[in-house]
Amino acid sequence: MPDGSFAHPQQRQFNPYSENGGTILAIAGADFSVIAGDTRQSEGYSIQTRYAPKVFRLTDRAVLAVNGFAADGNVFVKKVKQRLEWYRHAHAKDMPLRAIARMIQTMLYAQRFFPYYVYNILGGIEEDGSGAVYSFDPVGSYEREACRAAGAAQSLVQPFLDNQIYFKNQQSLPGQSRPLHLPLPEVLSIVIDSFTSATERHIEVGDGLEMYVVLAKGRSIQGLESFRGVQELTPNPDGDRVFVIRRELKKD
Amino acid sequence: MNSVYKGPGFDFSNTNRNAFLETRGLPLPKATSTGTTIVGCLFKDGIVLGADTRATTGPIVADKNCEKIHYIADNIRCCGAGTAADTEFSTALIASNIEMHALSTGRKPKVVTAMTMLKQMLFRNQGQIGAALVLGGVDASGPHLFTIHPHGSTDKLPYVTMGSGSLAAMAVFESSWKPNMSRKEALDLVTAAISAGIFNDLGSGSNVDACVITATHTEMLRNFVKPNERVQKEKSYRFARGTTAWKKEDIRNLIISEVVVPTREGEEMDTS
Amino acid sequence: MFLTRSEYDRGVNTFSPEGRLFQVEYAIEAIKLGSTTVGVCTQEGVVLAVEKRVQSPLLESSSIEKIMEIDRHLGCAMSGLIADARTMIDHARVTSQNHAFTYDEKIKVESATQAVCDLALRFGESVHDEEAMMSRPFGVALLIAGVDENGPQLYHTDPSGTFVRYEAKAVGSGSEAAQSELQDKWHKQMTLKEAHVLTLRVLKQVMEEKLDYHNVQLAQVTSDKGFEILDEVRLKALIEDM
Repeated sequence: MPDGSFAHPQQRQFNPYSENGGTILAIAGADFSVIAGDTRQSEGYSIQTRYAPKVFRLTDRAVLAVNGFAADGNVFVKKVKQRLEWYRHAHAKDMPLRAIARMIQTMLYAQRFFPYYVYNILGGIEEDGSGAVYSFDPVGSYEREACRAAGAAQSLVQPFLDNQIYFKNQQSLPGQSRPLHLPLPEVLSIVIDSFTSATERHIEVGDGLEMYVVLAKGRSIQGLESFRGVQELTPNPDGDRVFVIRRELKKD
Repeated sequence: MNSVYKGPGFDFSNTNRNAFLETRGLPLPKATSTGTTIVGCLFKDGIVLGADTRATTGPIVADKNCEKIHYIADNIRCCGAGTAADTEFSTALIASNIEMHALSTGRKPKVVTAMTMLKQMLFRNQGQIGAALVLGGVDASGPHLFTIHPHGSTDKLPYVTMGSGSLAAMAVFESSWKPNMSRKEALDLVTAAISAGIFNDLGSGSNVDACVITATHTEMLRNFVKPNERVQKEKSYRFARGTTAWKKEDIRNLIISEVVVPTREGEEMDTS
Repeated sequence: MFLTRSEYDRGVNTFSPEGRLFQVEYAIEAIKLGSTTVGVCTQEGVVLAVEKRVQSPLLESSSIEKIMEIDRHLGCAMSGLIADARTMIDHARVTSQNHAFTYDEKIKVESATQAVCDLALRFGESVHDEEAMMSRPFGVALLIAGVDENGPQLYHTDPSGTFVRYEAKAVGSGSEAAQSELQDKWHKQMTLKEAHVLTLRVLKQVMEEKLDYHNVQLAQVTSDKGFEILDEVRLKALIEDM
């Protein structure tokens, strides 16, 4: 080896993952659930697209937000949807929310040693008609919560939600009780403000905002009717209903 | 050498310690970087410089409206990209030296002088000073426009871009730059180039700063265009009075009341 | 049908020219040799009852196991080749556990039944060059009882892999008489207690031996307590009440 090219053992590695920015969040109400995400997809300092949805309607009562490595996220959502259809065929009903949550855990844990590089937040309505949010880590640890933010601006948004939803660091005033769940208009305002603020201070957040609202069966659309550009996605107003609201975010 | 005395220039006494700490897994603190789109462009009567106003630490926006077009001399300005502290110090240092040089020579400073001083300083430091600069100005020999890279190499060109948004900005220049543009044409082109960086490069954002330098006049156009104004919040986040918890309450009386007893009575002050 | 025997009754996966699978039909015949098994569905829950043929006074009747638990909310009674039922119930148990593990919910009675029937039809199946996993159809019929979000349900499966839902069903040697009795006596508003009595009465009618707590087994599936085999004390009390 006169040129010394074999002097040291060399190691090369292929890295199959990348990180595509963006942020998602979900908040559960008493009889509704809001699941939101921005639509920017980026890699490094480049914007790949200004409109890549990260939030997906699964059933009439379940919405899934996926954040992290976009390729894995898209494949994962595709597989979840496939499993939901199989389930529909095998058991003649839509999969309940908690069943979807558990299934997502098993699907993620199946990839324990080559994980889907994604953070999932599942929102919707439980069998008992209550609003619910489930959050997951990439290998399937999950938990039901009242609210959760994930993705690039998680560290910016989650403390804000802790303060506004759980009233953390806010001393309760004498003679004033804290609501366990906030009303829908309040929740939507908090979601919008979370994203406009994250857009201000995080470079990977922006372009567009998609908010999915799932209403429990029998709940009036109270708090939604006054909203600009609300679009209903469910064909049947007698069951659980899913709506989407879109907003522009700053594009710099 | 462990000496109380510190010579001029950089202090390297912690470099070995920090290198050791890094091997033990302690990451170095992140410096504020001006991710940045900066450009310069030659036109009929001089130079137009442009910059965005975003400063970042990693993916977080540290400053939404920082100034990246630095003063070198009345007729020379320098846009900085890279480590914010390095660009600010380098340009400030060279501005001082240029001023001294102008004073001692009695001549108006030349752009090449500033360029040479910057490149020599950067080369001396072997790329350790993370400053990528666009230097422009008009002097006795006419308009000049340079880029200076962190290792000390320079280019002299009729239109230049630097920073993370340099490709987006250069795409605009390559499609539309032409010789002998008017002031308005050049300013519009620079604005378009910076805007390309602001909207297509995540490291750049917020507003367009511009600076027009001609033989007779330098005009700094701070926040020339503001295409990214913050939108109104949906909700007010004023906390209700009494929301903040406290551990103990201690109210001190700051009014001191004391009884003054005169020792002597009825004696007038001697004012003679 | 035994007169129509031909070379077609040998292969498990060969149709006869008349379009019949003899081995499957014979398997269904085998069930008719089995002890009588009855299932009755009510709004409160499902009752399963089996006759145990205690052929010898030396036989320990408690070792005859013809009603088994599939899951907390699913039970199963059988008639025919009891050994074959083990395989099927094992499969049902695995399916049910797997469903609970994957979906954090109880499997539906119909889905569990479907899973068992999927298995029942896998005889004679072989993958290229390999020996088939099952050489013949199962010789057993199951009454699968359970409670899910659709309430109490009772399903009957046979060796052909067919399953049908019943309000009340009898299988085994005395099934014909038993079934007509069930048809007479079953009604929608039947209580669980009434169902217990009905199943015992039906068994009593078709059994050769005198019915007592040694030669019958009774089980129920209800929404609050799930599957339970009635113990000796409760069984004795019921027989006395009959």
